Amino acid sequence: MVGDRAQAAIVRGEVGHVHGTSLIEVEIPRSGRRRVRVNGQRPGRSTDLLGHVRGVVFLPDDLDIIKRGPVYRRRFLDGVAVQLWPGAYLDQQEHERALRQRNTLLRQSGGEIDQTTLAVWDERLSQAAGKLMVRRADAARALQVWIVETYERLATVATDIELHYTSNWGGSLEATAADEVAGVLAEALIRSRRADTERRLTTMGPHRDEPWFTVDGRDARTRASQGEQRTLALSLRLATHTAVHRATGESPLLLLDDVFSELDTDRADALAGMLPEAQTFVTTARQEEVPVHGRTFEVRSGSIQ
Amino acid sequence: MFEGPVQRLIDELSRLPGIGRKSAQRLAFHLLNVEQADARRLAQAIMDMRDQVKTCARCFNVTGSEECSICRDLRRDPAMVCVVERAQDIVVVEKTQEFRGRYHVLGGALSPIGGVGPGQLHFAELRERIGNEGIEELIVATNPTVEGDATAMYVAREMKPLGVRVTRLASGLPVGGDLDYADELTLGRALVGRQEM
Repeated sequence: MVGDRAQAAIVRGEVGHVHGTSLIEVEIPRSGRRRVRVNGQRPGRSTDLLGHVRGVVFLPDDLDIIKRGPVYRRRFLDGVAVQLWPGAYLDQQEHERALRQRNTLLRQSGGEIDQTTLAVWDERLSQAAGKLMVRRADAARALQVWIVETYERLATVATDIELHYTSNWGGSLEATAADEVAGVLAEALIRSRRADTERRLTTMGPHRDEPWFTVDGRDARTRASQGEQRTLALSLRLATHTAVHRATGESPLLLLDDVFSELDTDRADALAGMLPEAQTFVTTARQEEVPVHGRTFEVRSGSIQ
Repeated sequence: MFEGPVQRLIDELSRLPGIGRKSAQRLAFHLLNVEQADARRLAQAIMDMRDQVKTCARCFNVTGSEECSICRDLRRDPAMVCVVERAQDIVVVEKTQEFRGRYHVLGGALSPIGGVGPGQLHFAELRERIGNEGIEELIVATNPTVEGDATAMYVAREMKPLGVRVTRLASGLPVGGDLDYADELTLGRALVGRQEM
């Protein structure tokens, strides 16, 4: 937060990783864009930062991943992919761009679309979707066991957690070859060409897919209790931490924002007992609710003590 | 805000690409302090460029005459044509000294968001050239963006049936530097596009 009389806030941190340490500085001005520096240098593109800082953040809003629409779960999986493989970010951006271009084309032309132009955007979109899907599937594979394990340890009872994937064009979390997936989507786009032209948007593809979880066979979104939903949301983040640690050999920063106050005592204790060996920040409004020992920083009227 | 003419120039300069408010101010005050003749020469150069520049009737390169110097050069191989988005891309390819064919400037890349469809680009003229000039190969050198890719795909779909070979520039690593000079994304792409040795 920028102080009342200040022009800007600066957050500075030294991050250690397997290749050494990086000094990351973020300047947040009162107005305008944030500026990031890595070791005193401006990174070439914002994605360059991805390789320097790995962090897993749990926010109270993460319940949205379980309770709200499929977009939250897609975003979660795609976000994990970026943590595991920075290049996934480029694939996702290209997919989004190609999709926007195709949708704009469908909106503009209204029935009178040049078929070669549409075919070209089909091809480019399918290509991007293929890469996106493989990343998404890889992320799911990297996570799955850890989600189950983490949930069980948090809930302290054996629970069957499953990740499912509903797709109207043949997308699946089994995907391993981008070219194959691209081929499947390209055919689906031809089949849906008429519907897409009429509705003026792309009705098939990974952007419409629905990843969903079940807790002991019940849909987590509609038929799980609040406690189960909360435990699952937290499991997703902790599982991400483990998966990233395993894959990169680096233990990401862990930030748990106001998590303990929402858990019952058993689960809070279970969480405290299973925090990974990583630098972990826990924020809370009431310290007595946090059953972990560490250094305490107190924020009082705008300054840290 | 500055007085009348100075502010007017700052406003005009800051409309240029890559020039922000501060740079515009610096340029304006620089021009205020140089010799009258220098300022006049700059103004004249801008006017002359606008009045005298033409686009090449064959390839849409910028030129001072009917056809550009590349198209008029008889040592150039008319069977090879490098397809680029913009005229300034020609300069980049020329600097390599590796290409001895001719060019074709499309005038941009396909982008529904930008309102650019095939009708806005010089595809029809390219088709015509293939028929008239004995072109055997099109080397598509559009940008490695989603739009540049789509444009290259369009060229392939539309021109291959006319019997020409269509190739695309490979994307990969900057040469001459260390591997660690390349950013991760470029290196990642180069890995995916690796070639058999």
